[in-house]
Order: sequence, then C-alpha cells, then structure tokens
Amino acid sequence: MPLACSQLSVHYGRRSALANFSLSMEKGEIRALIGPNGSGKSTALQALAGLITPSKGRADIEGVAVASMSRRNIAKRLAFLPQQPTAPDEMTIAQLVRQGRFPHVGLFRSYDRKDEEAIEWALESTGLTAFADRTLQELSGGERQRAWISAALAQEAGILLLDEPTSFLDIGYQVEVLDLVHRLSRERGVTILMAIHDINQAIAVSDRISLLEKGELRFDGEPKALAASGLIEKTFRVRGRFVEVAPDKPPHFDVELTKLHRSGS
Amino acid sequence: MSLNDAPAIGRPSRWVLPAALVLVLLSFVAAVFLGIVDIPAHDVLSALTGSGSPEARSIILDIRLPRIVTGILAGVQFALAGLLLQTITRNPLADPSLMGVSQGATLTVTVFLLFTVYRANPDSYSVNELPIAWLPPAGMIGGMIAGGIIYLLAFRLDLSPLRITLCGIAIGAVLHAIAIGLIAGWGSARIEIILEWLSGSLYARTWDHALFLLPFTIVGLAMLPLIYRPLILLRFDAAVARSFGLSYKKQFSFVLLVSCALAASAVGAVGPVVFVGLIVPHLARFLAGRHFPLVLPLTIVLGAVIVTLGDLIGRLAGGPEEVPIGVVTALMGVPVLLVLLRKVP
Repeated sequence: MPLACSQLSVHYGRRSALANFSLSMEKGEIRALIGPNGSGKSTALQALAGLITPSKGRADIEGVAVASMSRRNIAKRLAFLPQQPTAPDEMTIAQLVRQGRFPHVGLFRSYDRKDEEAIEWALESTGLTAFADRTLQELSGGERQRAWISAALAQEAGILLLDEPTSFLDIGYQVEVLDLVHRLSRERGVTILMAIHDINQAIAVSDRISLLEKGELRFDGEPKALAASGLIEKTFRVRGRFVEVAPDKPPHFDVELTKLHRSGS
Repeated sequence: MSLNDAPAIGRPSRWVLPAALVLVLLSFVAAVFLGIVDIPAHDVLSALTGSGSPEARSIILDIRLPRIVTGILAGVQFALAGLLLQTITRNPLADPSLMGVSQGATLTVTVFLLFTVYRANPDSYSVNELPIAWLPPAGMIGGMIAGGIIYLLAFRLDLSPLRITLCGIAIGAVLHAIAIGLIAGWGSARIEIILEWLSGSLYARTWDHALFLLPFTIVGLAMLPLIYRPLILLRFDAAVARSFGLSYKKQFSFVLLVSCALAASAVGAVGPVVFVGLIVPHLARFLAGRHFPLVLPLTIVLGAVIVTLGDLIGRLAGGPEEVPIGVVTALMGVPVLLVLLRKVP
C-alpha cells in the first residue's frame, strides 16, 4: 500500500487537532479530504508527510514508518504542497522547479538528463514552459500556484499530497489542476491525497472521500455513498440536496444559500 | 514587466563578475601604492621585490601589506557571514550582530582587558604592557559563545527565523550593556584600546592577524560547495524546504555555525566592522539581479573590495590620525543601503 496511517493523533499543546485518524490508499487512487475549516485536514496531510510528529499512531509509506525515514527518502516517494507556500520574490519559476530535484541529486550530484527531463515535463504539465524564466513576483496568483505544483511534480514522487490546490484559482485553472490530478493518477499511477473545499469538485474527481470534523474521521468511502449519507448537510451546517446530473456521473450537491439555524429548523 | 526586459536584465551577468575581480586587483594595487607616507612608485616596487630602502621595505611589507591582507580576509568573512545569515533568517537587515557575535566579542575583550591589565601591571597607564596580541582569540571566543547561547534559546523554539531575531536582539542588548557598563567604570589607556577596537580598525594589524584569520577564511570558503544547495532551499519556509527533502534543522544549524565562525573570528581580529556584512550582500544581490548563482561569488569579491577601499580612504582622509574602517564603511554604507532598500517593497 503506497500510503497508510492508523490511529494518527496530533496535539498542538493541549488542543487535539487530529484524533485516531486512519487511512489507507491504493496505488493511483485519488482521495479528497474534506471538512469544515479547522477540522484537521492540513494537520492530517502534514502528519502523513512527516512534517509534524504525531502524539499517537503512525504513518507508513509502502509499509515503512515515515518517522523512521530521512527527509530526502520521504521526498523521493512523497511530494507535499502546503497551503500558500512562500518563496523569495526574485526566484524564477525554473529555479523553483529545479528545487524539486533536490531529493534525487542531493548535495553534490550534478543534474543529469533524467533530472532535466523531469523538470521539462513538470513545466510542460503545468503549462509553464514559456514562463520558465519569469520571477515569481511577476506571476499572477494562479500562475504562482501552478509553479508550486510544477515543483512538486518535478520530485517525480509516487504519492502527491496537495493542501487546497485550487484555492485562489479562477474556475478555468481549477478545472486545469483537477484535470492534471486526474491524468497523473490514471496515466502515471500517482497516488493523490488532497484537501479541498469544493464538495462538488471533490465528488467529481476522487475515487474515495474522507470527511473530517473536529479532528475526527466521520466518513471514509465512495462519493456516491457520501451523497446518500446526509453527512454533508450535517457537518457543514447547511441545507441542500444531491441532484443527479447524468446517470453515469456522480451527483451534484446543490446548496441553499440560507443557514439551517437562520431558517429556524 | 514585459518579456522584452528579460534579455536586458540577463546581460550584466557576463561582465559583472570579471569587473568585480578587476576591481579587487585595482583596489589592492591602490592600497599598496598609496598611503600617508609618500613612497614613490618605483620604491614600492623595489620594496616588493626585496630590495630598496629599509624604511620603504618596512612600511610596505610590515605595515601596509599585512593590514591590506587582514582587511581582505576580514572583508570576505564579514560579507559571507552576512549573506548566509540574511539568507537563512530571511531577514534582509540581518548582520553578524544579530547572532550577538559582535556584542559577545566586545564583552569578552572588555573583560579580558580588565583582568589581564591588573595581573600584568597595576599601572594601567602603560599601554605597552597591554596584551593586545590576545584580543583576536578573546573576541572570537566571546562571539562564538554569544552565538551559541542565542542558538540554544532559539533551538528550543524550533529555530524559526523570528525567534532567532528576537533572541539575538535580547541577548545582544544585555551583553552590550554589560560591556559598556564595565568600560564606563574605567579610566585609563584601556579605554583607548577598547574604543579603537570597537570602532573597527585595521590600524597596526600585523601578519599575525592575517595568519589568525587565514584558516577561518579557507575553511569557510571550502564549506561553500557543501552548503550551496541547502542555502537555496533555506530561503523557503521550513515546511517547504523539508518537503523538498532538506533536513532543515541540521542544515540551518550548520550554515549558522559557519556564519558565526566567520564573523566571530573577523570581529576578533579587526573589531565589529559588521556593517560590511549588512551592505555587501545587498550590493551583490542588486548587481546579480535574478542571477542568484552570481550572488555568492559577488559577495565574496565585493567584501574584499569594500574593506580595502574603505581602509584606504580612512588612511588618506584622516592624515596621521586615520579614520577607522568601521567609521568609513558606516558613513559610506548608509546612503548605499538606503538606495538599495528603495527596491524592497
């Protein structure tokens, strides 16, 4: 199994951010991590990437405990894109994407053809080849987000963790990112776990969905089962219904723009 | 910025480094040939080849050359230390005093003079008895200890750049206050020595000073290939750098250690000329533009140039009472810094 964790718990000081979170992913699976703000999505991703030490439980990459691996070994197998990462303004896209090869080249080895090819592929997949020499400062929010995704792709890791990769993108780029995620999974067998806010995008693109609330796992299963469970309305405190768009497609969640408690029920 | 600007910005990369290297050579030659004692050029040349009058030989070989070489080594070390620190703390205003290096050195030098003078000679007016030769190691040890204390305090708080800055300011202020308190309690010739040292000076620097610095310069430069790639990754947040496969704490600590060792040994030898560590990296970044690989070599070369020229100006401007290099770099550096920082949003 490429990525799994069991009974993963994280505390920030006394506050519990994640409690007994378990997950197991198949190779090439796309999994969406959804839940209200502060439900522990980012914490779960960071714990899986080995960036924070869990107070209980363990995460495994291909059966090996993440806690026992070096940062470079983790980075060869797992690429993690945090929410709104920052880089020096004068850095160019090409320089940023190059850093994605660090786990492979290390401190001394020079970049060989395979590394250059990976960088070219990463730029091409995100449509950035023409902008490679622009500095991050000169980019729009959407282009900058794609540059970061590109750097994560250059790692050529089998597992990709994305923390809200579509936030701050216009609808066109959102679709492009989701399309890229789909292609990576289906064509390259990349296992993808992403925290995402848009429930309909989560349902449309993912094979399975994990729903978090207050640091606890409320649901783990296929999108259709989630739609049938009624958990979305409850967890997000909204009123809405699932509408069938086409018989072979997952349903669409149609939200009413009035909060439950305001309407008096 | 349009795409058309790209080639124009790309152009300086080819000549900027060779030009800087030529500048090193020119400033070195100027510093050897010019001085408050007027020695004709052919006398300087014959002194360099071992002939010529004993007086000219002594001035060139025992006074000018050692102070120029000491200055170049110290300049390279300050500039490099500043660049490393600014990069890893992501703080454009960082210089070696951020790690308490100059304040710690000031305190140990002060304490050192306080005790040794009483041991050596109760008559503290006799300057000749003062153990000046021991100032460089004393200052360096103090600088390293101060850096170590700040490191340990920040390490408990995850080494975040902000924590380092805050710990550095707090500890640095305490050490500085103690040193000033001690100095204020004195009279005597020690004040002259400490003031001269504090202002940052190349006056009366000998080959001993150059030899003291040389190993640090060599080891520091030899570490650069080792820290080059981590240095690029350390410009990111810790989470991003670690995601790219960097052992953040380990590499951050190592770069910090190199930076502190470079700065502390240089402060010991020539006093806190830390302004060089602040200015030169900015100048190098300004000249390099988006060509980040140029920043490191430019910083090294410009560090040598700035100190050599600064000292030359100080020697010529002040007459027999020369102006210390620390004062020259601060006076010339402030306008430069203000111009460069206009670019920072």
